[in-house]
This record gives sequence, C-alpha cells and structure tokens, in this order.
Amino acid sequence: MIEFVYVGIFYALLALMLLYRVLKGPSVVDRAVAADSIDILTVVALIVFSIFSNRSIYLDIALVLAILGFLGTVLIARYLEGRL
Amino acid sequence: MIARIIIDLFLLLGCFFAFAGVVGLIRMPDSFTRMQSSTNIATLGVLWTVLGVAIYAFMNNNIAFGIKVILIGVFVVITSAISGHAILRGAYKHGIRPDNLVVDEYRRDNPDE
Amino acid sequence: MKKTSSIIATFILCYLFWILFTLTFTAQELIAGAIVSLLVALFAEKYLIHEDAFHLLKPNVLLNFITYVLFVFPVELWKANVDVAKRALSPNLPINPGIVKVPVDLQSEYGLAMLANSITLTPGTITMEIVEEDGQHFYYIHWIDVASKDPKEAGNIIKGKLENWIRRIWK
Repeated sequence: MIEFVYVGIFYALLALMLLYRVLKGPSVVDRAVAADSIDILTVVALIVFSIFSNRSIYLDIALVLAILGFLGTVLIARYLEGRL
Repeated sequence: MIARIIIDLFLLLGCFFAFAGVVGLIRMPDSFTRMQSSTNIATLGVLWTVLGVAIYAFMNNNIAFGIKVILIGVFVVITSAISGHAILRGAYKHGIRPDNLVVDEYRRDNPDE
Repeated sequence: MKKTSSIIATFILCYLFWILFTLTFTAQELIAGAIVSLLVALFAEKYLIHEDAFHLLKPNVLLNFITYVLFVFPVELWKANVDVAKRALSPNLPINPGIVKVPVDLQSEYGLAMLANSITLTPGTITMEIVEEDGQHFYYIHWIDVASKDPKEAGNIIKGKLENWIRRIWK
C-alpha cells in the first residue's frame, strides 16, 4: 500500500518542523521535550516504513530507538532535579 | 477494499493528532503547556497509526509483525507517561516558573524550593 | 515464601514478553528465553513486586482491569486529546494553566502509580508529585485549563471516573 510511504514522509516532515523548537527553545526543558517528540515521531515513521518494505529488521531498530529516547529523557530530568 | 478505507482512516487520524501536537509544541507560550501538547503526539498520534499498521499486518497473515508493532506502541505510550512526569518535576525543581500560572499550590506549600 | 512468589510472577511476565517478541516456537529459543527471564527475575523482583504478587490474576480483578484498559480509559483519552488538539489549533490559544492539589482516596502503591500515570497520559493534565499528609494522599497536578480552584471539585473533574474504576482493581 502506497499510503504508508506518504504517512512516513508526513511524520518525517513533522519531525523536521520540531527542529525549530530544538534550535530556538528558550530553556533546556523545551529542547528535551522537543527532542523526545522527534524520537517518537521517528519510531512511528520506522514502523510504517518497515510494513511497507516488509522487512521486520526495521522494527528492532524502532524498539531500540524508543528505549534509548526514554532513557535519555529520564536522565535529563534526573539531572535537572539535581539527584544524579 | 473496505479494510483499506478503514486503515486509511486510522492513518489519517494518527497524522491529524501528531500534527496538532506539533503545532501546539511550536505555538504554546510557556514550557509546561508545551509538555501538555507533546503528550498529544505520544498517545493518539502513535496509537492510531500503530493500530492501522497492525490491522494491515493481521490481514496479510503476518501475526508476528502485528503483535510486535502493537507491543512497541504500548511501550512508547507507557514510557512517555513516565518521562513526562519526570521531566515536569525536574523542570519545576530546576527553577523554571512560567509567569502565567493562575494558581500554584505547590509553591504555596513548599515556598523555599 | 513471599520472595518465591514474586520471583515466579516476574519470571512469567518476562517470559511472556520474550515469547511475544520472538514468536518462534523452536526449542532453542524457548530454553534461551527461560534462562534469561530467570536471571532477570532473580535480580529485578525486589524493584517490581512490593505487594501481593498474584493479586491481578483474581477473576473479578482481572475483568475490571481489562475493562478499564480497553474501554474506560480510551474514552477519556479520546475526549482529552480532542480537547487539547482544539486548544492548540484554535487561533487565539485559549489556555488557563495552573498547579492544583487534589486529594486521592487510594492506599495501594500500585493504585496510586496507576492513577498518576493515567492522569499524565490524558493530555491537559500532568501529575507532578505525590505527597502523604497524615494518611491521606495528595497529587499536585499541572492543569492546562483550571476550571475550579476547590480541591474536591477539581479532583472530580480531573479523575472522578478513573479513580472509581481503579478503586475496584487496587484497594
């Protein structure tokens, strides 16, 4: 189904739009939240691309990316809180 | 044919909520409300698209693929709740105070933090 | 005895996820998964299980849990998502944020965590902190549209239905 490619491209464009917030964001929290959202959008784009190309290796990459994004965000939060 | 329309509808809903979340993340005036908008991306923006993909996979007898996709979606949703909780508290304790709060009872109860 | 049952519960959880992720039923895979899950269960049970390990497997609790996850929570999630999406897309940005403190009538650690995560997952409200003041638990919640400053009424608007369902699952 060709729609999956369009959806993947749309999610990638949304991630590009979020780069504005990463570059401009007044504080470090805005950058962290925007980077986390970029990570989630990339995971969804990878899932959609993997079903289009019918290769499940991309799913493993998506899973690893989701775990790493979560760990990074929690690490930044702990650092800001002053408990690291 | 019917199934294809349903899948398209799911994908469209996912795209809409992700778009709304991104627009909110760019337009909102302070850090805390930006976090609220980012929850929008991480819940329904992920879940609708993942459901659409999973239905397509189940229809093509690709059971392993569908279950894995649903598990990744659930994982992303649950971890986004935890990370949102953690980063809001981190931001508050770091000293970020938006000036448009109507009421701030945390500061009333802990004035020295 | 308590430790053994919590190790068994963690092992079952890990093994279930291993099987769902691989979904190949050859002997090698199953044995490798069992060994890895057992190691993880031995080291991680004290972080995962704090109360009765098999509480969730009682039939009426399990039924309530499935109803909550599949039907009650998604409806609330949909409503809150549409609300926040409308706020983000409308031209004049109608927001009214604030941090409110609401009382919670739950005792179990799991129930408190589950309600806090459910509130965080619905867009528009994020739980900030859980405090305990002489036996009564309180949440500090960041709310995008403060409709009421009274603790009871704010609590009803934010978590009324969710809390009633969670009280049926965890005490």
